[in-house]
Amino acid sequence: MSEPRVIGAYLAVLAAELPASIVEELAGGLAETYQSYLRQGVAPGPAAQSAVAEFGDPHVIAAEFARVNPARRGARRLLLTGPVAGACWAAVLITSRAWAWPVPLLARIGFGLVLLTVIGLLAAAALGTRYRVAARAGIAGCLGIAAIDAIAITGAMLASPSVTPVMISAMTASTVRIALSVQALRPILTR
Amino acid sequence: MRAEELKGHLDAVLLAALEDGPRHGYAVMEALRQSTGGRLDLPTGTIYPALRRLEQAGLITGSWSVVGGRRRREYRLTAAGRRALSGRRADWREFAATVSAALEGRGCPNPA
Repeated sequence: MSEPRVIGAYLAVLAAELPASIVEELAGGLAETYQSYLRQGVAPGPAAQSAVAEFGDPHVIAAEFARVNPARRGARRLLLTGPVAGACWAAVLITSRAWAWPVPLLARIGFGLVLLTVIGLLAAAALGTRYRVAARAGIAGCLGIAAIDAIAITGAMLASPSVTPVMISAMTASTVRIALSVQALRPILTR
Repeated sequence: MRAEELKGHLDAVLLAALEDGPRHGYAVMEALRQSTGGRLDLPTGTIYPALRRLEQAGLITGSWSVVGGRRRREYRLTAAGRRALSGRRADWREFAATVSAALEGRGCPNPA
């Protein structure tokens, strides 16, 4: 039996905000609620209205899901560990006199801009109140951080004549952050 | 009882609803209605994000199954979830006994 338009409209509001797997779960629950009203002898139209009312405001449900969005947690973890990795790399740059490295000015500016963009994406994911927006920002931010850390490790190995203990600590911090990025991506991508 | 009055206790209530075995979201709501005699006035839709939160916390696990041609996500308690439920029950009993004693002017039946 097809479900009335009011249920379709309700699910469309959820689908605009939430991933398909979550909407599918909610659709199943809503269908069962609707069927239970039909079993009680309620006509299809009022049954659909009652089911939707019993389920609650779809915007509130979407906002509740946004609060438990795994992208938020992953992005917060990366933002919190950022200063540690940043301090380690700052120590590397100072102790190895990075200003003397043969890196073009444009590349330095480009790297800085990319870093700021990635931090912005992670902040958007960590604070986002819209599930899809936060998830997309989280995916881009996690990939960006993993790429930046990988570039930092590779660049330091190529540009610096020797591997110092400070550099090892920075590389370790970056490796941990790459692992955190992958760990954060998994639940976002499987939703 | 309305949702806002349940705030802070929703997680324990959901864990209790899963104690007897795995349930999907709608069945969790039905179990809560039955156990409370229909006194729990909670928008059904809001228990789904709460279940996801408990899953992220490792207190329950969710898995998809197909019933009647429709996929649905069932949740079951983990060992950590059972321990958490047991702890929340003990906390609640102590809290309820303390507040009841204070409100009704009787001595606490089991002073700490």
